[in-house]
Amino acid sequence: MVIEVLIAVSIIAVSILVAMTVSQKSVYVSRQAFHATQAAFLLEEGAEAVRIQRDNAWTNISGLTADTDYYPTFSANTWTLSPTANMVGIFTRTVSIANVNRDNTTKDISTTGANDPGTKLITVTVSWPEGGTTITKTLQFYISDIFS
Amino acid sequence: MTKNNKTKHGYVLLELLFYISFFTILSLLAIDAIITMARSFRETSIQAELARSGTIMERIGREIRASYDVGAISGNDLTLNTRNDTGANKTVKFSLSGSDLELLENGVLTGNLNTPNIDVTALSFTQITTAKGKAIKILLTVKSVNDTLVRTQDFYDTVVLRGDY
Repeated sequence: MVIEVLIAVSIIAVSILVAMTVSQKSVYVSRQAFHATQAAFLLEEGAEAVRIQRDNAWTNISGLTADTDYYPTFSANTWTLSPTANMVGIFTRTVSIANVNRDNTTKDISTTGANDPGTKLITVTVSWPEGGTTITKTLQFYISDIFS
Repeated sequence: MTKNNKTKHGYVLLELLFYISFFTILSLLAIDAIITMARSFRETSIQAELARSGTIMERIGREIRASYDVGAISGNDLTLNTRNDTGANKTVKFSLSGSDLELLENGVLTGNLNTPNIDVTALSFTQITTAKGKAIKILLTVKSVNDTLVRTQDFYDTVVLRGDY
């Protein structure tokens, strides 16, 4: 008799605990999904900040040190890329610039060949803490000197 | 002579105490679990509503990207000069009215961009002028009407006008 009661009680207890864990996990996942939505717009804004800098003058892009983290900063009604770290709420956003090579014969972007000073590879990264871990989203694109 | 083969029936007091306390603890656990689950269900639906409000920002971004000039801009109103499918000029206006974000096309109200369970608590447009064009920086702050903690969430975006790039 006692052993049946104990087994029944433990089955009920375990199922309640499992249901509770699942519901808490669902809160974690839905928060993470919401933060990912916010991060998607921050990535887009980072890309547009680089484009705005390019539209003002290509030297704003070509003058940056390659493979270094820059932080988009809004000041004097425009976006600038600052080496000083900043945060947007819980999010950290960085922009890094890499040089691009073009194949000597096909002129396509490739890992070998000669450096093209009129094209840069931009990587925008947004990262934020989520329940003890850090989640990182990146956006990569090429930008070209089309106005000068 | 009667045979004394009386078997023991019923529970000993100690046994009863044990069972009662066991079921008390179990029911407390169950009630706590139900409260936790109800709370997380509400939290999940609030987060889903907020995530869906990202479509407001998406719509504003798309309209800005398609437009060729800024008609009028003030803190929480933005009028864009854009073109419709056939290439005819039209205006698109985003306007904060109370806690609703209204969309007006050619001056006619077409509806609210936010769903009834989302309050737009702040909206701010800033114009950026570059050597080659214009861009709009947007800040959208929303909250869920079902959230008793009244937490607000911010969306940030900047979009370059590409209509006449």
